[in-house]
Parts: sequence; structure tokens; C-alpha cells
Amino acid sequence: MKNNLRVQRAIKNITQAELAELISVSRQTINTIESGKYVPSTVLALKMAKVFAVPVEEIFDLEEGD
Amino acid sequence: MSVLFYICSNKFDKMKNSLLLPNKYKVLGWILFLAFATLGMFCMLNNFKIPGFDLNIFNVKTDGIADFRDFNLTNELAFLGITVGLLMVVFAKEKIEDELITMLRLKSLQWAVLISYVILIVLNFSVFGLSFLMMLVYNLWTILIVFIIKFNIALFKLKKEEVVDEK
Repeated sequence: MKNNLRVQRAIKNITQAELAELISVSRQTINTIESGKYVPSTVLALKMAKVFAVPVEEIFDLEEGD
Repeated sequence: MSVLFYICSNKFDKMKNSLLLPNKYKVLGWILFLAFATLGMFCMLNNFKIPGFDLNIFNVKTDGIADFRDFNLTNELAFLGITVGLLMVVFAKEKIEDELITMLRLKSLQWAVLISYVILIVLNFSVFGLSFLMMLVYNLWTILIVFIIKFNIALFKLKKEEVVDEK
């Protein structure tokens, strides 16, 4: 699964730490999600979508082999 | 935004792992473990016994035959302290206990179970008799100790990850 979390953050102009605080996870969690090492749960994905005010599909996308 | 944060954190509450203890129990667990491990070592190596800390109810008079029964509760106390201490360390929450940490926790537990039984199988073919039983007793803690080691390595690696935290 790929994501454009970094782009979304840039648009919203917030750091990983700020996003982490908004959705009550650690900054490391945001970092591992951004680098594609960790796939967040549906709840976390929806929370992120809520922060960026976009549909989940705009942040996360399936890729070949998923 | 603060309203959103409130709603989010409230929702997150439902997903919390209710089996875990508050974070402060980690320190308490380590103190307990170290204190009782020291007591246990003295008990094992120097045959140290807390004077008067005996179980008198079941004290059976020996009739000249060597009595292997030990009615002093020092070693039992050490065992209890070490076990409870390690359990506290294992079950204490991290400062921020999110779903990534939960995943690392479960992965570490898988490893701990596996490694613990590998050690048991190796011991089965390398230690025999009464010392095997002793090893079985020690092996009760391996699962907890391996978990602590594996989980902390995972946390350390997580902290060491390259960070690109610009806006």
C-alpha cells in the first residue's frame, strides 16, 4: 500500500509531531507509516483523513500485489 | 481543532488494550525484579534464609531420614518477587501506547514464545535429571525476559529510524 501522507502534510503545513498529537499516536508511528513500513488501522486512517479533510482514498492507495 | 482532538482521543479509548498497567509500573517492576533477584541469588548461592520466615503449619518431624523438604519461605518469596516484577515490566504501558506499539508488543511476544521453547528443546537434550528440573524452573522466566529484550530492541530501532520531519 502506498500513501502520500508527506504531500498531505505539506499541503496542511504540519509536522509529523503535530499530526501525531492530533490523532494521539507517537511521532515514530507517523514516520513508519510515511515510509511505508507500517500500514495503519482503518480507525487511524480515517482519523488522518479527518485531519486533512480528504477521503481516505486520497491519502492511501492500493498498489500492485496488495 | 481541539474539538476534533477530543472526539478522536475519545474514540481511541475503546481500542485501548485493557490488560496493560500504567507506565509507572515499569520502574516499579524493575525495582522489584532487581531486589528479589538479588535475594534469590543469595538464597541459591549462599543458602541464605530469612530467619524465622518459616511455614510452621505443615512442619513434619523427621524420623532420622534425610529431609529434602524446605519449610523456609525465602526462595518462595524470591520467586514471587521476580515473577511479579517481570510481569509488571512486561505489562506496563509505553508513554504513548498506540497501535504500532501494540503490534510490536505482539510480534515480540511471538518471538518470546518461540525462543523460550527452542531453549527448552535444547535443554531437553543437554541437561538431565534434577538439574533439568531446575532449568525448567528458570525457563518459566525466559518467555518474559526474551519478551523484554525483543520488545526493547524493537523500540530502540523505532527511535533510531531516520526522521524527515519537515513541514
